[in-house]
Amino acid sequence: MSQQATALPPEAEAQHEPGYLAVSNVTKRFGAATVLDSLSLSVGRAEFVSLLGPSGCGKTTLLRLIAGLLAPDQGAIEVGGRDLTRVAAHRRNIGVVFQNYALFPHLTVAENIAYGLRAKGVPKAEQAKKVADALGLVRMEAFADRAVTALSGGQQQRIAVARAVVVEPSLLLLDEPFSALDRKLRETMQIELRHILRDLGITSIFVTHDQDEALVMSDRIAVMNEGRIEHLGTPSEVYARPKSLYTMEFVGQSSRIGGVVTGGRDGLVEIDTPFGLIRAPGHFLSGSKVVVGVRPEAIAAGEGPAGEYNTVRGTVAEVIYFGSRTLLHFRTAQDDDRLHVELNRLPDTVSPGVEMTVRWRVDDSRVFPAPAGDDR
Amino acid sequence: MTLARDDLAVASTAKPARWSFDAKALIAAPGLIFMGLAFAVPVLMLIGDSFVDRDGLSLAGYRKVLGDPYYIGIIGNSLQLACITTAVCLAVGYPAAWALARIRGVWQVILFALIFLPLTVSIVVKTFGLTIMMRRDGIINFLLVNLGFIERPMRLVFTEFSLYFGMVNVFLPFMILPLYSVMRMLDPRLLDASASLGAGPVHTFLRVTLPLTMPGVIAGGTLVFSISVAAYVTPGLLVGDRFMTMSQVMAKAYLNIRDFQLGASMAVIMLVISAALILASSYLVRTPGGERR
Repeated sequence: MSQQATALPPEAEAQHEPGYLAVSNVTKRFGAATVLDSLSLSVGRAEFVSLLGPSGCGKTTLLRLIAGLLAPDQGAIEVGGRDLTRVAAHRRNIGVVFQNYALFPHLTVAENIAYGLRAKGVPKAEQAKKVADALGLVRMEAFADRAVTALSGGQQQRIAVARAVVVEPSLLLLDEPFSALDRKLRETMQIELRHILRDLGITSIFVTHDQDEALVMSDRIAVMNEGRIEHLGTPSEVYARPKSLYTMEFVGQSSRIGGVVTGGRDGLVEIDTPFGLIRAPGHFLSGSKVVVGVRPEAIAAGEGPAGEYNTVRGTVAEVIYFGSRTLLHFRTAQDDDRLHVELNRLPDTVSPGVEMTVRWRVDDSRVFPAPAGDDR
Repeated sequence: MTLARDDLAVASTAKPARWSFDAKALIAAPGLIFMGLAFAVPVLMLIGDSFVDRDGLSLAGYRKVLGDPYYIGIIGNSLQLACITTAVCLAVGYPAAWALARIRGVWQVILFALIFLPLTVSIVVKTFGLTIMMRRDGIINFLLVNLGFIERPMRLVFTEFSLYFGMVNVFLPFMILPLYSVMRMLDPRLLDASASLGAGPVHTFLRVTLPLTMPGVIAGGTLVFSISVAAYVTPGLLVGDRFMTMSQVMAKAYLNIRDFQLGASMAVIMLVISAALILASSYLVRTPGGERR
């Protein structure tokens, strides 16, 4: 699996000079709780990397450590070859866009953007020009003299971005910057921000708990769990070839089927599950407890050729209609394990209680060791 | 935010004034009626008194107070007392309020208790306690002598030092409370944002922290100044007649020499000083030096 992952270098990655941001073995504890556990992360120049994980996974702590707003207990942080571990936040030249934007309420839009330039002693005339350019970049020229408190969420967001990039930071950190926006606006801003940052060539670290946001925006995604990076890869790697059950379940929808390995050959294992015998790529000892994960869109109605496909029979438990697609919950008679099946076109016969057959390619099955304490 | 204007209040969410009648205002009626009877009426009578002597209308009271270097000196004393007390309370109270607003858990409770429990002790008790501490055989002299800083006990009570010490002791909580309530509302991420933009601690303090806490500084300063300019008990107990203040003159005018016009005139002058200060502070809060919203 890992061979496959490295065999797919996206064009984007090739042009990023690697190791521009290097986080090495960083540990951070708060009292007895270890929030980051010897975490390492390497980000290329001009790359856009998302830290994706649920609240409490340590992603915001990592961001604050990189920004210098927290000090690590162990480990080192370098940007562009310069060791910043013991450098104060205001000497790092790392920009931050905060979740609530953190605009200065006593300053106008232009004064907010000029703040960093002024702190760095940029001459007045140059300040004015840069502020005007930054306002143009986020298409907010008309708002220069407004009070920031009079702006809408999306407008405040643009000003926060302009304020952070106008000082030409060596790295830009974004802490869930879209979480306060409604969905439509969020989608527009995601694309727009991505364009701005790509044009400026700014290396960016983006913290989010929203998997869709991470998939849409990132060059690479670091899926985080309990202070560690579970999987670092391109969006398509993370989605299609997750390295762990956690990544598979956190990013996108999936079905999990518990079972016991009964044998294997040629890089395939056979697994006894409540849905019958399932085959999947992998290497496990016979008798191992495993979990098979399948993406809903990989599953189709009807039977398939036995060699290439897993075919199971069961009952439709629920039909969930999304407009462009339909999700079925599909289960066997004797067990509660459910398959989530996604269909673009719903056969007329399908309704709850109906028996049907579904299939998916053996290659689309991912096998993971069953988590400890999981009896399913 | 219009803190000082909202009667030095703790609130920070300001709404635009609307002139349509709101029935909720009636809830304030008992308080308003009481204040009308207990405050407005006596003040109006006092103002009346200041313009009247035994022979009818007269400005003799004001002529006496504003024309006699002795009384001018006393007004000066009161202003000096209030200014120094306010300045020291601000210097000591600002960091204390900051700590109170930033700290969490049990230490916040302890700090709160340390700062606000003294408010539950009467000023008279507190001030007498201070005089006991500062006596020639009191604990301060005992410590200074035995630690070898001085050879023989020095006089502490009835000095200006003891006066300012006592005033700050009494009025410090009134500075900390409004500062604390403003600082608690200050988003700590603004300070992070400032640092991330390359601003050092001094720049951040001058450009972000201070402007955003200015309403608290103005509210606390106004409060401490206006109550310490009128202080009576503390100066009376700690320095007595050596350092006469406006309040002491008023008391003497009413109680000893029974010159009501003199007392009333002095009272009106003090009222004007305090009112001017409160008006000025509410103006300051609304101008760019304070906060612009």
